[in-house]
Amino acid sequence: MSKVVGIDLGTTNSLVAYVKNGVPIVIRDTDGDGLVPSVVSVSQDNTIHVGREAQRRLLTDAARTAYSVKRFMGKGREDVRHEAEHFPFRVGGDSGEVVRIGLGDREFTPPEISAFILRELKHRAEEHFAEQGEVDNEVDRAVITVPAYFNDAQRTATRDAGRIAGLEVLRIINEPTAASLAYGLDKKHSGVVAVYDLGGGTFDISILRVEDGVFQVLSTNGDTHLGGDDIDVLLMDRVLAGRVDRTPEAVQELRKAVIQAKLDLSERDETTLNGQPISRAEFEALIAPIVERTLGPCRQALTDAGLEPSQIDEVVLVGGSTRIPLVRRKVEELFGRRPHSELNPDEVVALGAAVQADILVTGNREMLLLDVTPLSLGIETMGGVVSKIILRNSTIPATGSEMFTTAVDNQTAVDIHVLQGERELVADNRSLYRFKLRGIPPMPAGLPRVQVQFQIDASGILSVTARELRTEIEQTIEVKPSYGLTDEEVERMLLESFEHAEADFAARQLIEARNEAESVIQATEKSLRSPEFASIDTTEISADERKKIESVLAGLKMVLKSTDRETIQKWTHALNDATQHLAEVMMNRSVSAALAGKNVDDV
Amino acid sequence: MRVRKLLRSLNLDFFSFLSLPRKLNLDMADFEQRYRALSRQFHPDYFYNAAPAERRASLEKSSYLNDAYRTLRHPISRVEYLLKLEGLAPQGPEQASKQVPAGLLEEVFALNEELDEVREQRSSGAAPDVWKGRLERARLPIEAKRAEHEAQLQELSARWDATGDRAVLESLRDRILERNYITNLLAGIERELNS
Repeated sequence: MSKVVGIDLGTTNSLVAYVKNGVPIVIRDTDGDGLVPSVVSVSQDNTIHVGREAQRRLLTDAARTAYSVKRFMGKGREDVRHEAEHFPFRVGGDSGEVVRIGLGDREFTPPEISAFILRELKHRAEEHFAEQGEVDNEVDRAVITVPAYFNDAQRTATRDAGRIAGLEVLRIINEPTAASLAYGLDKKHSGVVAVYDLGGGTFDISILRVEDGVFQVLSTNGDTHLGGDDIDVLLMDRVLAGRVDRTPEAVQELRKAVIQAKLDLSERDETTLNGQPISRAEFEALIAPIVERTLGPCRQALTDAGLEPSQIDEVVLVGGSTRIPLVRRKVEELFGRRPHSELNPDEVVALGAAVQADILVTGNREMLLLDVTPLSLGIETMGGVVSKIILRNSTIPATGSEMFTTAVDNQTAVDIHVLQGERELVADNRSLYRFKLRGIPPMPAGLPRVQVQFQIDASGILSVTARELRTEIEQTIEVKPSYGLTDEEVERMLLESFEHAEADFAARQLIEARNEAESVIQATEKSLRSPEFASIDTTEISADERKKIESVLAGLKMVLKSTDRETIQKWTHALNDATQHLAEVMMNRSVSAALAGKNVDDV
Repeated sequence: MRVRKLLRSLNLDFFSFLSLPRKLNLDMADFEQRYRALSRQFHPDYFYNAAPAERRASLEKSSYLNDAYRTLRHPISRVEYLLKLEGLAPQGPEQASKQVPAGLLEEVFALNEELDEVREQRSSGAAPDVWKGRLERARLPIEAKRAEHEAQLQELSARWDATGDRAVLESLRDRILERNYITNLLAGIERELNS
């Protein structure tokens, strides 16, 4: 039976987890590391690197390396104009279209970049299951988490990323709610819980009531553009002020130093950054406005839940940025109680996603998550005003409907513009979809009664259906996402990714083969050039053997530049074999030299 | 079979869907418990492996349940929903906001006079303290009226629960209309204060 996993697709790091014997566990690499940095790099020969290796390449090839791509999910070119300059990679795309990220001569949409990360996690999980001796280790289904405050376009982009990576996305769930599931496992507690989630790029606050195993979200709020990244930018601006070297690589080197300083200051009162001491007090003064920006959404969520801070029974911290002592103090101040942080704030979301995935496939009814839609859904009406159809904090799945009619006789189509947000005017809200309601039977103006039904599913994603009530005719709806991919585009990317996945894999294998060949060549040449070698007489190494080594060496050098991995490997093995005896002789020499009290170099 | 039964029950009104009598005072703990129990019954989470028709039914039912929950949870939307069910829905929002309810004529008249004077003061450059104080004072009688309304709504709700008398519903409708009007007035004062 193929496997199902929970995935935390984070701004900075991503993780994959699954439930084993009722317990969720994070899948780690051989070093015990569960985090896969959400970084994707394309090298000169178009090999795709993901995770730690891609992160290293930020320091050597920054312009070909993308990070924090989650910030661009579901966004249009115009939305990101201001922050694009902070990144070493190209952020482009056509006006009014989805953002495109340029790495080298290739261009990707944010869901495609995210799909590389998802595929890496899928691969990691499949290796893990293979090691566990599972007969079918294929991972083809996943629950993926998103910030609670993600809008429809951002959720859809995340689902598309999953599909491009070859995963059936069973459900998109909200990060804070996932965290609460992970926390709710060990004990059957009931009460009101506030989950404060400050990650790399996003902030969420969710307030839940937990009762009889039902995790019911009462309200949620947040800011999808507020997180540890913003703290890094503040620190970097401070250091960059007096610097000349602003090459992308130098800036990334600095960014790395800044992140280290930030981590240090969560443990110590002082550290150094760019050769200068920086105290925790200075750091806190610098970031106070950012922490302050999280408190407004917290208060709004409390108001929306109809609760006072004193009515919160437990506070849970999620996200790496909640390790910062100032954040903890402020949260404690606001809610008047010490927050929980027993579970690793980096891992708790993935654990919760695994739990939800397990619920879905096993039908285990012990726990149930009832989440809400974070933003009101509305449609454009006369004068550019939004008429709300589903209010924010409505429990999902939710429906709403609106009646439309025609303005002129025999009109057969009506334009509908769907938006998300809390503001009165269309221009101040997020445009989600524009579509044309077609197939309205010709009738005098104002007579048709077209009921448009909006359905938000349990993933917080919208679908629309319509029906003319007088004739009972179902309408066809062509939905074009304002800032998203069409189904056809997703299909195409999925197909391309398969081709590229194989091409990428082959390219990586070729590089590894060349690297190995080069190191054998170097070692051999070093031996042949060494003064020791000249002193070895033909009784130990015959002239034939010398010739053999030299010819195999020349052969390997000839095939090294070819793209035939197998030939390179064959010649590499041949050279290894041919030099084995030589290596033994050399080894014996150096050992006897050492025994004679001489350095090998002196021989 | 099961699917058809699920779909048919969507014709139930929100009260019946939750097996509740059409009453306005709810035992909230019981209400929440019913909601959770029905959520466990219908939620799409538990129909992932089911046939498409069943999955669809689960989605529709749990959406409807969530609608019912949202509507009946708050006392005011509960009254409004009951009025609609009983064919006493207040007319369109335009009418509700334009026509001054008879019971509020005196207060609205006084408030409008105050607002006019405050605007005059402001345009002639009066200190914010002066006109803000005035607005705050003008708000008091309206807020008193609102508190009065809350009490009346509660009393009428209890009477409806006890008697099921339609005349009580008509009084409730008038109170709701007045209440919406008061809410608009208070929002108007708030806007003036913040402008």
